[in-house]
Amino acid sequence: MSGTDIAFFLLALAAIAGGVTMLQLTNVVHMVIALVMTFLGIAGLYVLLSAEFVAVVQVLIYSGAITIIMLFAIMLTRHHDDDKERQTTGGVWHKAVAAISVLAFGLAVYFGIRRLDFGAEGSALPADNAREIGKWLYSYYTIPFEIVSVILLVALVGAIVLAKKDGKGAEDK
Amino acid sequence: MMNLAWVVPLFPLCSFALLLLFGRKWKKASAYVGIAATLLSLLAALGVLAGRLGGTTYEANWTWMEIGDVTLTAGFSVTALNAWMLVVVALVSWLVHIYSQGYMAGDERFSTFYAYLGLFTFAMLGLVLSPNLLQAYIFWELVGLGSFLLIGFYFYKEEAKAAAKKAFIMTRIGDVGFFIGMLLLFWQTKSFDYDDIFRAVGDGTLSPGMTTLTAILIFIGAIGKSGQFPLHTWLPDAMEGPTPVSALIHAATMVAAGVYLVAALFPLYEASEAAMMTVAVIGGVTAIFAATIGLVQTDIKRVLAYSTISQLGYMMLALGSGSYVAAIFHLTTHAFFKALLFLAAGSVIHAVHTQNIEEMGGLWRRMPWTAPLFLVGALSISGVPLFAGFFSKDEILAAAWANGSVELFWLAVAAALLTSFYMFRLFFLVFVGEARHRHDGDAHEAPMSMVGPMVVLGILSVAAGYIQTPWFGSFLGEWLTDGTYHHEAAPGWIAVVATIVSLAGILLAWLMYGKRAVPRDWLSARAPHGYELLRRHYYIDDLYRWTVVALVSFISRLLAYVDRYLVEGLVRLVTGTISAAASAGSRGQNGQAQTYGAVTVAGLAILVVIFALTGGNWL
Amino acid sequence: MTLSAYLALALILFCIGLYGALTKRNTVIVLICIELMLNAVNINFVAFAKYGAHPGVHGHVFALFAIAVAAAEAAVGLAALIAFYRNRKTVQVDEANSLKH
Repeated sequence: MSGTDIAFFLLALAAIAGGVTMLQLTNVVHMVIALVMTFLGIAGLYVLLSAEFVAVVQVLIYSGAITIIMLFAIMLTRHHDDDKERQTTGGVWHKAVAAISVLAFGLAVYFGIRRLDFGAEGSALPADNAREIGKWLYSYYTIPFEIVSVILLVALVGAIVLAKKDGKGAEDK
Repeated sequence: MMNLAWVVPLFPLCSFALLLLFGRKWKKASAYVGIAATLLSLLAALGVLAGRLGGTTYEANWTWMEIGDVTLTAGFSVTALNAWMLVVVALVSWLVHIYSQGYMAGDERFSTFYAYLGLFTFAMLGLVLSPNLLQAYIFWELVGLGSFLLIGFYFYKEEAKAAAKKAFIMTRIGDVGFFIGMLLLFWQTKSFDYDDIFRAVGDGTLSPGMTTLTAILIFIGAIGKSGQFPLHTWLPDAMEGPTPVSALIHAATMVAAGVYLVAALFPLYEASEAAMMTVAVIGGVTAIFAATIGLVQTDIKRVLAYSTISQLGYMMLALGSGSYVAAIFHLTTHAFFKALLFLAAGSVIHAVHTQNIEEMGGLWRRMPWTAPLFLVGALSISGVPLFAGFFSKDEILAAAWANGSVELFWLAVAAALLTSFYMFRLFFLVFVGEARHRHDGDAHEAPMSMVGPMVVLGILSVAAGYIQTPWFGSFLGEWLTDGTYHHEAAPGWIAVVATIVSLAGILLAWLMYGKRAVPRDWLSARAPHGYELLRRHYYIDDLYRWTVVALVSFISRLLAYVDRYLVEGLVRLVTGTISAAASAGSRGQNGQAQTYGAVTVAGLAILVVIFALTGGNWL
Repeated sequence: MTLSAYLALALILFCIGLYGALTKRNTVIVLICIELMLNAVNINFVAFAKYGAHPGVHGHVFALFAIAVAAAEAAVGLAALIAFYRNRKTVQVDEANSLKH
């Protein structure tokens, strides 16, 4: 049992624990905190996978920006009697169907994973991740890069349009 | 002319069709269509009769269908009997059509009435032209249908509906016997044709046991249709129909169909002693049985109905005693005088608006045409000499005596006494004495359209007797039997006895109801139970209600349960399953995105699992 | 650790996220679960970048793109949620049933 294995188990445990806890908690804000734990666990896993750049981006974007935006959304739409209502939709049937189908899907894919064997021991990736990623990003993947930036612009504008107050928009029309 | 005999039933059929289509528009003119059609039929029938008088039997057949190696034919045959019946039926039908114009005037469903009359006439004429049993059965049923429609003409009256159903169902019971007999004959002789059957009887193909069995079975059909005991109870109730209907159907034609059938199959019956005895006994018993009931009825039409049953019994007695001629002769005269009596009764009812003879009286003065005509009919049915009924009844008594059945002979004589008694009881209560009816002021004579046919029938009730008399020659007998008839000189004392008995009955009736010398309740006071027995028609209706009807209603209720819970339950199971499936499916369309998502994921899971299980080779 | 361990982990996280997305009532939580699913996919990419048939940083690049698009989608989703909340005064998913017949 090498150190990496122990680290893997701990980090995996953290990620999964965060996910499960998130489903079980009742308070929405607590749920988001549990999710942060998951994101951080995943970031650690990226480091184990020699993907340092991605790990940092994960911490920055996910446990940073996205968590904050979720909290903003929660706070802007908060009902004070949220905690007493039930947390899940549908009746037993709905939950049963969802659970069984997710379970079936999971088991099927798991069996597929087990039979997968590339035989590779895992190659070492270049130590300077950032430079490598940059090299590939701006030469081979330029076009997707540009398109992603357009997507981000569209998302920005779209979010503003969607979330604007109705009254002002109606007057303009 | 005989080869065109198929034309005779056609005119009333056209009348029926036209009146169904256009009757509502034509309204009063429908009567003219019906009258014209039956007149044409009558003329054609007379032509056919003229042809047959001179010639021999004509028969025409066409192949109807072939089933395996059996060929069914349809056609018509003009035997002497058929030609005669054609004229009788067409004539009475025509007269009733004319009469109905006056009687049913003002009725909303005037044209429907004439349409039904046309249908019935078509069916009856078709029946008497049939050359084979199958065709006869078809027209037999059609006649029953016509009767049903006409009895239930006033369908808004509960009694009329019930009477129509009763008539149809009771005759249906008889028809089952007819059908079984017909099938047995077919099985034995491979043919429905009368000629083939007679040939089979003659050369022994049909065993004696089978002959008797089929003869009796077919007679059961005749019992139903002709209202013999025990299937007679529908006839009195059938009086719910309009009076012209009673005159046409339940006096002259439909009820005579049973007699006609036995007569047409006479060679079959002659071959079986037992069958003949059955026919004669039932006929004789019915004759006296119905006569006793008719003694105490107070509804004018019911008295006439029981009288009809009784007279039909006479005809069956004649047939059973071997005298086919006497039966047909009596059928003819009965058609005329009974129709006359019914039409006269209708005229009376039209005048005083009641059918209860206790509420009538003294109508002789007020109805100068109806009253004498009724008297003529009454004299004829009572067998007073010189009237038609005397001659035909005499023939029957002679036949019964010649056959050797002494008991039946005296039964018939007793029935004759009762006949004249109740007939004249009716006459005296209705026409003589002080007026007991409430509409004393406006009791008036019937219009000419109603009186005219009665006059014709009155003349026939006298004249028709002379075609077959022991004194002036037996034209009918010789012609009907193609010359094989020989009139054994009947003992002259029979005629004397008959005359005495008729006159005695008239005298007794006059004493009790005319002169009031003998109190009316002389008998009923002395024998109240007997009186009650007669008044309730020997409780036969009640007996049927307690046994047959109760049993059948029980069975039908049971079957109704089966139908409702089993059959309908199965159907509802199917529909229930489908609608349950449908509502289950529609519950999935609740507008919730997560429901749709769950369904999608479930489908995805199924696909992935299948893909995994089949190793990727599932397409 | 072997490749299948990382893939199994990713699968577990994906299933958790899927179940949560299908059953949670609060829309924000549904969006969060969707983010969780996207994270699981990212783990897959990065794991294959190291242990897969063609090791290289291509997996990382793809993971970066996924993160970017996920962020954009989260933003737009939450904007839509805000608009919905303004209209209906609720963030429960089962209140959004106007498509029901």
